[in-house]
Amino acid sequence: MRREEVRPLLERVTDDLPEPDLADAAWSGGLALQRKQRRSTAIVVLVVALVVAATVITAAITGTRPGVVPPDRPPTHPPGYVPPAGQIAGMDFWIAPPSGSERFLDRLATPLGDPLRLPDDPSDLAIEPIEQIAAVVLSRLGDGYEPILLGSDGLWARANRLLDPIATGAPLSPGAISPDGRRVAFPQPGHVVVIDSMTAEGMRIPLPTGDVRSVSWLPDGERVLVSGPTATYRVLVGTGGNGERLITSLHTGTTPDAATAPYRLDNLEGQATLLDYVESGWTADYPLQLPVDTWVGQTFTGDAVAARLFVAYPLPQVPTVASRAQVFAAISTLRWQPSRLLVLGETPHPTPTPGSPTPAAVRTSGCCQMLGWYNEGTALLQVSGWVLAWELRTGQVHRVAALEVDGLAVGPGIDG
Amino acid sequence: MRDTVDPEFASYVDARQARWLRCAYLVYGDLDRAEEQLLHAFSRLAPRWGRVDDPDVFVQRLLYQPALPHWTAAPWNHAPPQPGDEDPVRTALAGLSAVQRTVFVLLYFEELTEFEIADVLNLSHNAVHGHAQSAMTAFRTGLGYGDWRNAGKPR
Repeated sequence: MRREEVRPLLERVTDDLPEPDLADAAWSGGLALQRKQRRSTAIVVLVVALVVAATVITAAITGTRPGVVPPDRPPTHPPGYVPPAGQIAGMDFWIAPPSGSERFLDRLATPLGDPLRLPDDPSDLAIEPIEQIAAVVLSRLGDGYEPILLGSDGLWARANRLLDPIATGAPLSPGAISPDGRRVAFPQPGHVVVIDSMTAEGMRIPLPTGDVRSVSWLPDGERVLVSGPTATYRVLVGTGGNGERLITSLHTGTTPDAATAPYRLDNLEGQATLLDYVESGWTADYPLQLPVDTWVGQTFTGDAVAARLFVAYPLPQVPTVASRAQVFAAISTLRWQPSRLLVLGETPHPTPTPGSPTPAAVRTSGCCQMLGWYNEGTALLQVSGWVLAWELRTGQVHRVAALEVDGLAVGPGIDG
Repeated sequence: MRDTVDPEFASYVDARQARWLRCAYLVYGDLDRAEEQLLHAFSRLAPRWGRVDDPDVFVQRLLYQPALPHWTAAPWNHAPPQPGDEDPVRTALAGLSAVQRTVFVLLYFEELTEFEIADVLNLSHNAVHGHAQSAMTAFRTGLGYGDWRNAGKPR
C-alpha cells in the first residue's frame, strides 16, 4: 500500500457523515462563554473587595495592622550570623573551614579574580596609570623581580622596574600599598623603593642598614616604616613638616614584620599586648590574655580593630595532634568593644584509626598571614594558597581567590 | 461581541466545518464527540473573532490536542459497535494509539506537514515524524498488508 492510497481510504470512511451547521450554535456558545467569564471576573473582584473592606474595617476597629507584628526588640545579630565555637581568653572564637574545603566556600568577588595568577600581557604603568591599587604581585625576571600592579578596575600594569631579592626572598610585604592606594613601597638591600601608580615614577631612598625586610605605611600615607632584623626606620616619602628628617630611627621591634602603625600586636615582655604607635616608637595600650607563642606577619588596622596572626600554645578548646593551631586575632582598639578570634585547626581524618589520630591535613607554620582589609569589617587572610575573607560581624568566612602567585599585597582598591 | 452571528465568522465556519468534522471523526472515532469538540473549538473562537492571529491553528489546537493521551484516556470509539459494521479501515484506525492516530489523520487526511502538526499538537518535529512512521506501519498491518518496506511489490 502506498501513501497516496491512504487518503481515499479515509475519505471512504467519512463519506456518509452528515453536513454540520455549527455557525449559529458556535456564536451562541461564544456569547454564553463570554457571559460566564464576565460573571466569574465580577465575582472574583467582589470577593477581593470584600476581603479588603473587611481588613480595613478590622484594622479601624482594633487599631492594629493585621499581619504586621513588630518584633519586641531589635535583632541582636546581623543576617547570616554564625554562632561562635566558644571563648578563648574571654574572646569569642570561630573555627575556620578545614583545609581542602576552601573551594566550596561562598565567593567574595574582587578585582583579584579567581584564581589569582600572573597576567599574560599586562600594560605599561607609564601608559596606563592606576588610580587606586587593588593588589601588587611580583613577576620573576632573571635574578630580580618586576612589580605588577592591579587596579581597582581589574586591569594589570607592570611597573618597568627591576627589584633585587632581599634576605627573605621576594621583596614584597603585605603592607606595601599606601592607605590612599596611590603608592607602593618595596624593601631593597640598603634602600627602599617607592613607586607612584599614577606617574609610574620610582623613588629610591637609601637607608643606613643593608638588611631590610618589611615595609608598612603610616595612616597618613606620607611616611613608611621600613624594618630589618636590627633596625626600624620611619622614612618620609611625601611632604614633611617642621624640618622633619628624611629617615628617623625607631625603637627596634622583635621581628621586622612587627613594625606597623597605628597599632601593633606583639609580645611585650612575654605578654601579648596591643601597642600604639607614637612619634618615637610604640607604647603599650593594654595587655591581652592570649596564648601567643609567636606572632606571624604584619598587623593591619581596620575600623577600630587591629588584626594579626599568631601561633598559639596548645589550646584545650581546639585540640591538635600534629601541629599548633594558628589564630587570626581581631583585637578591638577600644577595650570595651569585643575582640574576635578565628582559629585555623587541623582537618580530622574522615575515618580515624583508634590509637593513631593522624589528621587528614594540617596548616604548616608560615602558611598563613593577614593580608589587609576588604572593608571596615572584613579581614583578608592568606591561608595555604587561598585568599579568604573573614566577616567579623557574622563570623562567616568566604573564598576570595586561589593564590597562584608567590606573594601578594592588597590595597584599598580591593573592594572595587 | 454582538448578539447576532458575525457574517464573516459564519462564512469562516461554513467553509471549514465539514472537513474538520470528518477529520475529528477519524481522530476520535465518535461522531458525537467529534461534533462536540468542534463546536467547543468554534465557541472558544467566537469571543476572540478578529483578534486571533491564525484562527485555523487556534481551532485545530482546541480540536485535536484533547485527543492526545495526556488529555484523555478514553478509547477511540465511544459508540457501541453496530452489527455488521466491521469496516477494515475503522478497525485499522482503532488499532493505532491515540497520538499515532491523530498524527496519521492530520498527515494523510488533513494533509498538514509534519512541522504544522508539531505546532498544532505541541510536539517536537522528531516526535511527530516517529509517530507518523509507526502509525503507517500499524495501519498497514491492520489492513493486512505486509511490512512497509515491501510496499509496491506484488503480494
